[in-house]
Amino acid sequence: MLSRLLLCCLMLLALVVVISAWTEPPDARNVVPATRREVVFWHFWGGEDRTVVEAVVDRFNASQDEHFVRAIAMPGNNLDMKLFMAITGGDPPDVINQDDPIMADWAERGALLPLDEVASDSEIDALQKWLVPAANRLGTYRGRMYALCNGLDIRALYYNKTVLDQYGLQPPKSIDDLDEIAAATTVIQPDGRVVRFGYLPDARRLWAWGIVFGGEFDDDETGEVTLASRPIVEALAWMVSYRDRYGAAEVAAFRQGDQSLPGKTFPLLAGRYTMLMDGQWRVRDIVAAQREQRRAGQVVVEYGVCPLPFPPAGRPRAGWVNGNFFLVPRGAKNPAGAWEFMKFWSGFGGHEANAAQTCVAGGWIPVSTAVADQPTFRDYLQREPLFATFVELAAEPHQIPTPVMPGAAYFQRTVNDAAATAMYVEAAPDAKQLLEQAASRIQAHLDRNASRGER
Amino acid sequence: MSANIRRNLTGIAFVSPWLIGLGLLFAYPFAASLYWSFCRYDLLSPPEFIGTQHYQRLAAEIAAGEGFGRAIWNTGYFALLSVPLSIALGVGLATMLSWKVRGQAVYRTLFFLPSVVPVVASSALWIWLLDPRDGILNRLLESVAAPRQLWFKGATEAMAPPDWFDFGSKDALILMSLWGVGNFMVIYLAAIGDIPEQLYEAAELDGAGRLRRFWHVTIPMLSPVIFFNLVMGMIQSVQAFTQVYIVSEGTGEPAAWSLMLSLHLFLSAFQDLDMGYASAMSWLLFVFLLIATALLFRTSRNWVHYQGAGR
Repeated sequence: MLSRLLLCCLMLLALVVVISAWTEPPDARNVVPATRREVVFWHFWGGEDRTVVEAVVDRFNASQDEHFVRAIAMPGNNLDMKLFMAITGGDPPDVINQDDPIMADWAERGALLPLDEVASDSEIDALQKWLVPAANRLGTYRGRMYALCNGLDIRALYYNKTVLDQYGLQPPKSIDDLDEIAAATTVIQPDGRVVRFGYLPDARRLWAWGIVFGGEFDDDETGEVTLASRPIVEALAWMVSYRDRYGAAEVAAFRQGDQSLPGKTFPLLAGRYTMLMDGQWRVRDIVAAQREQRRAGQVVVEYGVCPLPFPPAGRPRAGWVNGNFFLVPRGAKNPAGAWEFMKFWSGFGGHEANAAQTCVAGGWIPVSTAVADQPTFRDYLQREPLFATFVELAAEPHQIPTPVMPGAAYFQRTVNDAAATAMYVEAAPDAKQLLEQAASRIQAHLDRNASRGER
Repeated sequence: MSANIRRNLTGIAFVSPWLIGLGLLFAYPFAASLYWSFCRYDLLSPPEFIGTQHYQRLAAEIAAGEGFGRAIWNTGYFALLSVPLSIALGVGLATMLSWKVRGQAVYRTLFFLPSVVPVVASSALWIWLLDPRDGILNRLLESVAAPRQLWFKGATEAMAPPDWFDFGSKDALILMSLWGVGNFMVIYLAAIGDIPEQLYEAAELDGAGRLRRFWHVTIPMLSPVIFFNLVMGMIQSVQAFTQVYIVSEGTGEPAAWSLMLSLHLFLSAFQDLDMGYASAMSWLLFVFLLIATALLFRTSRNWVHYQGAGR
């Protein structure tokens, strides 16, 4: 009898614990004041970045008396599915942030509100003039804006200045310079193993080199896949010349290993390369490493950044760009509030100073020169000179994203596979043949997609 | 209402949560996916009937050896090597662990332990172990003057020409799958414990040595369990997803050399929003598994011996 009583008490206790855990007082951030309209915002940021996001949301909420943003962090890899379920179920968020090339796919299927249905035409006109070309490209599909960028990812060439000085070399301006420095600073052991590559192209960067060599991956007018055009074939053939020089196995072992090991240090810092193409987020790593070297009393290795070198017929200051952007799902309950928040974050419509503050906090690249010219941001660039090159490149006309079209994910995957085959398979067909095969596969995929629109 | 009917209704009411769950979460999607396999369907717009186009595309891809065809080859290679190897290793380990030696329990625990590690964690670990430059396995190979291997990064197949013994991404996945053989091993271990001692004694009286006893007593007595693990192993390897997704960063890299059927299906459905094509693929997969299992059952009559079956 006693033991039964004890069991009952224990179960009751367990129930109380469970219920109290459930009814834990909510975070003040999530309580929408009665006088305000809620804006539900989904994003995928975690770690340090999440603190920055929460700070922006807090600043926006403090600046407002009409809208109130409630930010919900979602893991990035199944955000799409959750959004589709929410749209189909009739309860989507008001605004989400994304960085995958999905905008056209979603817009084509009617999952997104075009921004001209959220804002006035004059506002959209002003926005297009305000944004840098890359941000306009990322946000526009079939002549209409569906996305507002709030940050760009730009790639440039990092180099180890200390090594270049040792060899008496200057940072490369042309592809010939790059090849020369690469050959001069590559260190090979007597047993044939490479200790340091001067430069080694990464298969996934055909997207950048194709543009630098003067190519376009698709024709904006006709929607045709132009992957196998001369400049892109030349770019891939140039990349493959490195495989021919060092062997597919050595190239794969060296280059592929860099990408996959989670938490592994930036390979440039590990001294494995003299030059390496990467994005602006690596500036943080370099600054941290140099601080550590100073603290430990070691020799401080100097690094520099320059625009991607280009061949004679190529494009200066060009490259592949992607970025973060806001989307308003169809069925959003408060699109007006979403629009206010998007403007506040990106800096458009008089919020430039605020956006500059956000970009400095997150180490993000502004989407407008009006934000980059703010004193707060100028000061930041003074402190982080390596970052300045990326910010300047962001405003250039030939920073081009993955084609903004339905099927972009397939496009990207297929191009990456073709480039990886060229770089890492010993007996691979030549660059032209591989790109032609990939182009016809992509074209077939796009045609299948297009026939859907014609029904 | 008669007592009988009432009793039946009460019974149905008690199992109704399960029945409803089965109907909503299994039977409906199952039937719907068959219909969708004949439709163009992207989750957001209503499905549009297009006949057998997806099946034609799948057939064309098999013929061309790309997309679905590539995934079939990869999955077949993986299954045909990993299943027999894991059976051989499982039986071998179980036999050794059944020997009465000091610390038997410790050994058993040690060999079972890896299969308790979550796939995500063990995959992340294997990425490190098999790193082509700094991985411990390559270091070991080098120390015995064997050539370094590319493992997960390699666009090669060790068991197929022209890259004999160049271990690539699928070979690394097979190696990784053998690490989790503990699950099968405990089943063999239990089955070995069930083999009547007098069979071994009889064999010994007839002059059979260790090897003969293993081959003519242990293996036939284990055959029902081997058969079970063969079927389960085949299904598991055709459905291999998590480890492939993690080691190839969700792409099937390098260049689709580790693109398995379930990853191809996932990418088509959730990245390309091609739910109809993915449904068609999953139905082909289902029919294939059904036929393969039926064939295994049929051949099993010839080699599987059930205790007391009176054969």
